[in-house]
Amino acid sequence: MSSFHVGIDIGGTFTDLILVDPTTGVFVLGKELTTPNDPSRAVQTVLADALQRIGASAADVARIVHGTTLVTNAVIERRGAHTALLTSTGFRDSIEIGRENRYDLYDLMLENPRPLVPRHLRVEIPQRTLADGTTLQPLDEVFVARLTTELTDAGVEAIAICFLHSFTNPHDEQRTRDILKAAAPQIRVSISSDVNPEIREFERASTTILNVYVQERVEHYLHELEGRLRDMGFAGRFYMMLSSGGIATIDTAVQFPVRLLESGPAAGALAAARYGHQSSIDSLISFDMGGTTAKIAVVDDGRPLITHDFEVDRRYRFKKGSGLPVRIPVIEMIEIGTGGGSIARIDALSLLKVGPDSAGSAPGPVCYGRGGDQPTVTDADLLLGYLDPEFFLGGRMALDLIGATAAIERRIAQPLGVSIAEAAWGIHQVANEAMANAARVHTLERGRDPRRLPIFAFGGAGPVHAFRIAQALGAPSLLFPLGAGVMSTVGFLSAPLAFDFVRSWRRPLDEIDFSHASALLQEMEVQGERVLVQSGVDPAQITHRREADMRYIGQGHEIRVPLPAGELTTAHAMDVAAAFRNTYQRLYERLGPPVGLEILNWRVTSSGPDPRLMLRFDAPMTTHADDAVRGRRNAYFPELGGFTSTPVYDRYRLAPGTHFTGPAIVEERESTVIVGPHAECEIDAHWNLRVQLP
Amino acid sequence: MSENLSTIQIEVLWNRLLSIANEQQSALMRTAFSTIVRESLDLACGVFDGRGRMIAQSDTGTPGHINPMATGVPALLRVYPPETLRPGDVIVTNDPWLTAGQINDFTVLTPVFRDGAIVAYFANCCHSADIGGRILSAEASEVYEEGLRVPVTKLFDAGEPNHELFKLIRANVRTPDETVGDLYAQATCNAVGARSLTAMMDEFGLHSLDALAEEIIGRSERAMRAAIRALPDGRWTHEVWSDGFEEPIRLCVAVEICGDELFIDFAGSAPQSSHGINVVLNYTRGYASFAMKAAVCPDVPHNEGSFRPVHVDAPRGSILNCIEPAAVASRHLVGHFLPGLIFGALAEALPGRLLAGGADPAWMSIWRGRRPDGRTFNITVFQLGGSGARQQKDGLSTTGFPSGVGGVPAEVIETLTPLVQHERTLRTDSGGAGRRRGGLGQHTRWSSRSGETWSASAMIDRTRFAAQGLSGGRPGAVGEFVVDEQPRPPKTVVRFAANALVRLSLPGGAGYGDPLLRDPHDVLADVVEGYVSIEAAKREYGVAVRYTGDPSRILQLPHEFVLDIDATNALRN
Repeated sequence: MSSFHVGIDIGGTFTDLILVDPTTGVFVLGKELTTPNDPSRAVQTVLADALQRIGASAADVARIVHGTTLVTNAVIERRGAHTALLTSTGFRDSIEIGRENRYDLYDLMLENPRPLVPRHLRVEIPQRTLADGTTLQPLDEVFVARLTTELTDAGVEAIAICFLHSFTNPHDEQRTRDILKAAAPQIRVSISSDVNPEIREFERASTTILNVYVQERVEHYLHELEGRLRDMGFAGRFYMMLSSGGIATIDTAVQFPVRLLESGPAAGALAAARYGHQSSIDSLISFDMGGTTAKIAVVDDGRPLITHDFEVDRRYRFKKGSGLPVRIPVIEMIEIGTGGGSIARIDALSLLKVGPDSAGSAPGPVCYGRGGDQPTVTDADLLLGYLDPEFFLGGRMALDLIGATAAIERRIAQPLGVSIAEAAWGIHQVANEAMANAARVHTLERGRDPRRLPIFAFGGAGPVHAFRIAQALGAPSLLFPLGAGVMSTVGFLSAPLAFDFVRSWRRPLDEIDFSHASALLQEMEVQGERVLVQSGVDPAQITHRREADMRYIGQGHEIRVPLPAGELTTAHAMDVAAAFRNTYQRLYERLGPPVGLEILNWRVTSSGPDPRLMLRFDAPMTTHADDAVRGRRNAYFPELGGFTSTPVYDRYRLAPGTHFTGPAIVEERESTVIVGPHAECEIDAHWNLRVQLP
Repeated sequence: MSENLSTIQIEVLWNRLLSIANEQQSALMRTAFSTIVRESLDLACGVFDGRGRMIAQSDTGTPGHINPMATGVPALLRVYPPETLRPGDVIVTNDPWLTAGQINDFTVLTPVFRDGAIVAYFANCCHSADIGGRILSAEASEVYEEGLRVPVTKLFDAGEPNHELFKLIRANVRTPDETVGDLYAQATCNAVGARSLTAMMDEFGLHSLDALAEEIIGRSERAMRAAIRALPDGRWTHEVWSDGFEEPIRLCVAVEICGDELFIDFAGSAPQSSHGINVVLNYTRGYASFAMKAAVCPDVPHNEGSFRPVHVDAPRGSILNCIEPAAVASRHLVGHFLPGLIFGALAEALPGRLLAGGADPAWMSIWRGRRPDGRTFNITVFQLGGSGARQQKDGLSTTGFPSGVGGVPAEVIETLTPLVQHERTLRTDSGGAGRRRGGLGQHTRWSSRSGETWSASAMIDRTRFAAQGLSGGRPGAVGEFVVDEQPRPPKTVVRFAANALVRLSLPGGAGYGDPLLRDPHDVLADVVEGYVSIEAAKREYGVAVRYTGDPSRILQLPHEFVLDIDATNALRN
């Protein structure tokens, strides 16, 4: 029976998976090292393993949702395609001239972001469209043809086209693309009127460039992945998680890869919001530490914060304004280069530094025994007794404690003249300090008090470090979900299937022909229903949300206003105006001046039912904590004088209602929770481990 | 808890205030009508304590508004003392001598009440799209010609719009919807700030901000003083020249560092002008204190505490402390020179920490004409030239300093008016040569589709006196205002023929260090990207680059440019 749902997250170090039977809640988790040269290989391994464990085959999988950090990494590491930009005559420098303002008034050493396309590959095409969509200068098609040859000769692999006013009249962009594609079909082309049909040429061009810059990589990789899954016998539906927390088909993802930026981490924040809400915690800090980076997001009122002013690759002191603007909705978070694989070293000032460079999955930390010889955070965690060399990834990967010890001794302990344990504790502390600082700044910048917010900790390394971070922040409590090691994948399966549609039709409110508006909206709803039904959603469970982008005539920014369902008539103009005033007042406290209103865009979001992902255990459980102790091992707690014999709990045996006190080690296959002394622990009704700080 | 705040509490609350000020600015930009506010950020937003002292400002905006707003709020409260204010009151003025020195700049102030008492104020200051009078230029000889002056007045009275004032404004300005729409936005963003501040006080159980304000101001002042104390004591002088209106204007400064205090005196600067380029003292102080903050203590948030150790003076009746009724419309074209002037004086005292000279004044042009349907249009456009090089970094191209204003997208200009921007490109060779190169200015070309005569007032400077380099760096290029290939006068309304082609070319920043010491490969990279021409590479940097590609091709690729090391060595020796 084809019924399983699968979530897959490819991070810089690990590829994570959840496979769940949505009707019973029975699930399997998986974690494998990422295979950077061919990321789909790790996916195949982890999926095959999970299927085998549950006794199913790929044909039994109804739906796979996938997300990844690979797109962001390609931009930060500048590993995208050799890309050119075509602009209207006179405007090749829009992306470098930018907004012209200083993003920090007082800092004299600012740096502007470096455009992805160097100036010598930015070409002005003879053509000009005016604001009303009419043509000032027709497109010089001969020039475009000539240029195509030159771009091919120059080895250009991708081309972004951004002509002025193309969001009003896309003709010249489309025509230029067609000429290019006809003569050089191997070159990828993105046009701004497709990627981001909105006014303001700098941001639109920047978004379009990013899209095409990563497109080849994304398409190649997704097709490779889909091919492998199909070869395994998977015949279900394959979706991608978007930066905004929504999900989309692979076709959409390949066409608009820019919407996948940070899609893996976005899912983590989404899962944090879900789990928190389930446990009646609507505001929290989502702390996700993987092998390469740590991601911190604020969840407020049950939802992660969303930003539309997203920037990738902030180059100057991570300041807003120093990155490349991308006009897409994104779950807001801060990402720093501290993960399990972060390398520890002694710097020129004889100080201990950790990261941001990472050993990644290859060679990985020393203890992975894959050729790494630089000590990492994971090596230190192993030495401190936080990780079990025999039970990493549930025992499927033995860790080399001797190698890790030797590396820390040689590279850290000896140069600093301290014991090996002190060196390992130093690495652990430095990493925690960096993460706690980032979390503090991010939380404070959003005006939230980190001392009041519980921390929701996940990711492969998150549960090992979260207790100390919570101490540093003064957080009241911690929440460790079951499956913390692969939590992003849970996020993938928490998002409802939803598709957004938009039609631009700009009119003053008092001139709108509402029968035409109704037709527009219904057309989108029909479209939404069709896609959802194709995706296997029961038509009875489909809902549509109508909205309009509105503003006072003369303003430059819109607000999103709910529209009534059903057939609209002129009589609805009053309702729409009232809805606008309500929304405006809620957002801005007071109304605007006595001028007319206008609608710019009409929107429909068609959604399937909210998935209620309930995970269920079949393992024998106990509410007597002692019964779940499967042994003791020495773990390092400086407040107890160093290495201390600490009980190791089997997470899978701890039933809701169980209580125990730290120090404690709680192990599951994909992650290990470290709880410090005197902390009160409880398994809550949703199998979350809740820890109250002493 | 309001009496004894822990360090952590202060940190939390302080950051919250900064975040609230940013929220205030975001609401302002999103609800504003004019491009000046919503695209170019010619604005300031700030939170003030119950005594009218600025305790937080938003991250961006422009110093010319922030500091005069901060020092102007107490003046507004002298007209409407706190005990006379009621919930829902909003106060406004554009009096140049009380606030930002220009009659287009409206300051809007809103008290925040809690349990019947004022606990804080939100204020903002924005450049209005139009305020009547002459089209913004330097042509007036008295402020009365420059537009409608609104004395400190209620904009809203206990929540009710002051209809008489709005009628008066609408009847006097060319852009009634934008001018009035922005005033609404200004009141709106203060209300948004007040909402968040009230929520913060609820959350933390605060009844007053006094203790927090003392901490914020005290800590900021101490940080500023510590930074000044770390500088060598001494007195340094400098002078620069501005184009002026009919004749060049000399600006002089003496900067004295004395312990943990700074004294900046503009004595010796030109006398008050008979045209609209005069600066009120409030604005002079604003840019002078901004310059010192940026130079010595950029990382501590800006507030009342940063002003205290900095003492600024200019002779009464001079161009930097003009007396009413002087004309002041173009005051920024003089005021924006002040940070560069002060940096010039301090170059020796703060080696490696300052900028070489830059384009300085933001260029502002006011375009007016008729749409094809007969309605008039009026739009203000900001543009930025290059900023000066730093000891370790090239200058920033087309990025403002000292003003924080931004440009207006061509698509926005063309959607609102029949203007067509034909070009907006980096200006090759406009960045002054140096071991670090100055930032580039830009070329822009404009026409109108209205089919009849149109006009512009180019509020611009640095068309005669180039930005000066540091440590052997060369000057940046001067700016140009050209109509159909004929230079035209700045700071005055110029009428154009229907089919005229207007070009504005913005100045570049100056270089830092000897250009002969610039790495030849950096020069080559600049040539490949077209920031520096082959000719200038040779002339200014002594670097010989040959282009070996086919000149008939569209693309000129990096490998086609060859660095001739021998020829370069010969040129450099």
